[in-house]
Amino acid sequence: MQFHLNGRPVDFDGDKQTPLLWVIRDWTQLSGTKYGCGIAQCGACTVHIDGAATRSCILPVEAVEGRQVTTIEGLSKDRSHPIQKAWIEKDVPQCGYCQSGMIMAAAALLKEFPKPTDSQINDTMTNLCRCATYHRIREAIHAAANA
Amino acid sequence: MPQPMLDSTLDRRGFLKSLSLATSALLVPLAGIRPLEAADNVVEITDWIRIERNGRTILGLSQCEVGQGVYTGLPQILADELDADWSTVSVEFVTARDAYRMAAANEELQQFVGASTSTTVFHDRLRLAGAQAREALIQAAANRWRVRFTQCEAKNGRVIHTSTGRSLSFGDIAEEASKLALNPHPKLKSPSERSLIGKNLKRLDTPAKVDGSAIFGIDVRVPDMLFGAVWMTPTQTGKIKAIKNEAEILARPGVKAVVTAPFWPLPVHNTVIVVADSYWTAKQATDALDVDFDPGVSATLNSDKIMKDRLAALDSDKAVVATQIGDVAKAFAEAPGKIIEARYHTPYLTHATMEPVVATVHVRDSEIEVWGPIQGQDMVRWTLAKNFDVPANKVIVHTTFLGGSFGRKYVPDFVLHAAVASKAVGRPVKVIRSREDDMRHSYYRPCASARMRAVLGPDGYPTAMHARVVGESLYAMIKPKAMQAAGGWDETMVDAIYDLIYAMPNLTVDNIDVKQPIPVSFMRTVGSTSSVFFLESFINELADAAKIDPYLYRKHLLAHDPRAVAVLDRVTEAAGWNTPAPSGLHRGIAFNLYTGRGGAFESYVAHVVEVEMVKGRVAVRRVVCAADVGTVVNPELVHANIEGGIGFALTNTLKSEITFAKGAVEQGNFDAYPLLTLAEMPEIEVVLIDSDRPPQGCGEVALAPVAPAVAQAIYRATSKRIRSMPFENAANMLRTD
Repeated sequence: MQFHLNGRPVDFDGDKQTPLLWVIRDWTQLSGTKYGCGIAQCGACTVHIDGAATRSCILPVEAVEGRQVTTIEGLSKDRSHPIQKAWIEKDVPQCGYCQSGMIMAAAALLKEFPKPTDSQINDTMTNLCRCATYHRIREAIHAAANA
Repeated sequence: MPQPMLDSTLDRRGFLKSLSLATSALLVPLAGIRPLEAADNVVEITDWIRIERNGRTILGLSQCEVGQGVYTGLPQILADELDADWSTVSVEFVTARDAYRMAAANEELQQFVGASTSTTVFHDRLRLAGAQAREALIQAAANRWRVRFTQCEAKNGRVIHTSTGRSLSFGDIAEEASKLALNPHPKLKSPSERSLIGKNLKRLDTPAKVDGSAIFGIDVRVPDMLFGAVWMTPTQTGKIKAIKNEAEILARPGVKAVVTAPFWPLPVHNTVIVVADSYWTAKQATDALDVDFDPGVSATLNSDKIMKDRLAALDSDKAVVATQIGDVAKAFAEAPGKIIEARYHTPYLTHATMEPVVATVHVRDSEIEVWGPIQGQDMVRWTLAKNFDVPANKVIVHTTFLGGSFGRKYVPDFVLHAAVASKAVGRPVKVIRSREDDMRHSYYRPCASARMRAVLGPDGYPTAMHARVVGESLYAMIKPKAMQAAGGWDETMVDAIYDLIYAMPNLTVDNIDVKQPIPVSFMRTVGSTSSVFFLESFINELADAAKIDPYLYRKHLLAHDPRAVAVLDRVTEAAGWNTPAPSGLHRGIAFNLYTGRGGAFESYVAHVVEVEMVKGRVAVRRVVCAADVGTVVNPELVHANIEGGIGFALTNTLKSEITFAKGAVEQGNFDAYPLLTLAEMPEIEVVLIDSDRPPQGCGEVALAPVAPAVAQAIYRATSKRIRSMPFENAANMLRTD
């Protein structure tokens, strides 16, 4: 089967039930997308599928056949996405493990709501961060929206 | 516990040659950092500083980066004294030398992160190293120019001859500097001469953490590597008897081996590891395992029994006395019917790091190589040395970024598992623990209960207090010798109570180790997350009984300590304590003097919280924190530690509870062990007190006062005392004992 990852075709000939997360991490060897829970609770595995934020840890790879998948590595070439720039400006990450997923979720949020309200941020940004970097995440989203 | 085997410190000239030896430096390149120059292009000036001929300065970092910011803050100290050009420095993890080891509370010398000690301990060491290197570089330049040392100065990565303005880059003179003897007593900078300490330098690890290139333990990939997934017995005391379908599992495509492994530190095998050519193949195979096991002694253990054991201990006459000041019994006898008593409870907790425990290990004939999120490098060396009969200095440890740890990744169980798997297949194996097994086979923050009693004098202030804390002792499992040396009581169970800062003429503090077959270990802020909840909740109750404002009540009892008074004054000022809370909001306050393990430092913290009750649920809207953590190396890093610490503590306070049924942990994932969400994160304001004390701990200090402050605010809102964590547990909200 074939799908597109960060603009390039990927041919995968393994078990089609393999979650997209593990195909991305182990088959294509892009390790920015993380495993956190395996039950789509924490969002560390968030990627974009045809532009929509999706938790990849429970999604069989066959579900993305022919579709466009974007990971943190494909969000920009040089950390130039407004969300990445705001994350750097606010020094959001602590341990950093959840941040790829957070950034992918926030980038999708901005596409839907270019100037999100706090309530829209609350409803959309349901990814978990054990370091509790949450209020910098909120600040950075607002900063990116106003950049 | 195995004894440390300390490597003889390599001669610093010999280090250059040894760069090709894996024992000398971190070899997993952390993304965002340029690759090392060839070894012959780099010279070592001290254990901490290497300089490339092109001038790039490589600063050594012995402390793993778990999110606390040492990857920036510690190099900042080094670069300040060195007068390095911050824009060109790079940071590399270093290991396997005594220079990188420390001892917490007179324990074994070892390389590790813990107890909020990194900045406190390494501040002086790094300043010395930076100043020594600066002087050697200046001397080398002075020699080259044939001028006096005192006529030259270092600035921004160069040495300048002040009268002529000539300058040489550190790279130009590094070779010569490396041949000079280091001055054992270099001149350290005065506070006014500091160029970097105290500045809000941006975190050096942020760029790699926003583009996916930062390498965590789970991201390690080494040549010829296989993957392992684990199956573990449901009970903590389980023992594997047979793998009934081993042949069938082995026959699966991609499966290479099925092995059993022990649950550290016991030799009992409770874990099956399936090794395969991909993680998903290994994981599916472990899910299909059919294992015959003996559940062991905890087969009938459940949370009700654990609570009953603690409740019985609260009124036992067999407590071990930790502190005895004055005569509490006499004071109580003289005030019949006036004893104020309250009982408090906290549950088992787990770290729930976003990155589950994971390690990659290659066991070879005469050495073992480890890559992973390691919080205790020497702990890993000792453990593998003991289990595989190799010298500790033949265990090569490469430390990646840690996707959270909070104490969890100091325990080497997961490294041992990967080593067992590697030994079985003769290849490097990366073993990834599933979330469920990470949560169900952790080393937990112990549960605890307290019975607090006091009598008040005519002025409303306590004249006597008896604090009894019972629960499963952490030290009894981890540090039995330290506990024995102390007379049988566990410092962590009575943190902040045994060495009470409040004025108290008569004080008895005692505790009881209520043994349970549950593995326990260190978790961020350790025992204080229970004991300070007990103490500070009780202080709030005493203030209310005396009808005195809890801020003023504390101020009176802390009048002898100006730093304590300062944080109370500053936090109440910033929070607007003396003005009414906004409509619908209710305030609470708490304080703590966090002294670290064995009294390693003194950090003062006070919080004022504002909560709103929404349909019977607690919503924490605002937390104001004032903290005196000594000299602040990088204010933004301290802010981040406090902000994150408050969020972490709110998860503990409101949500977290590990419970047991039939000996097994009932929670397996974030659906049953939820974390605070972004929507629930309060506004946070942090006030840092100016201080000329050396840096004190800051990574853990914000946590402990959160729960008692929130409990007090809930009492203001509802007239209900919440004395059991977590507060969102409906039964705890209704408890009245």
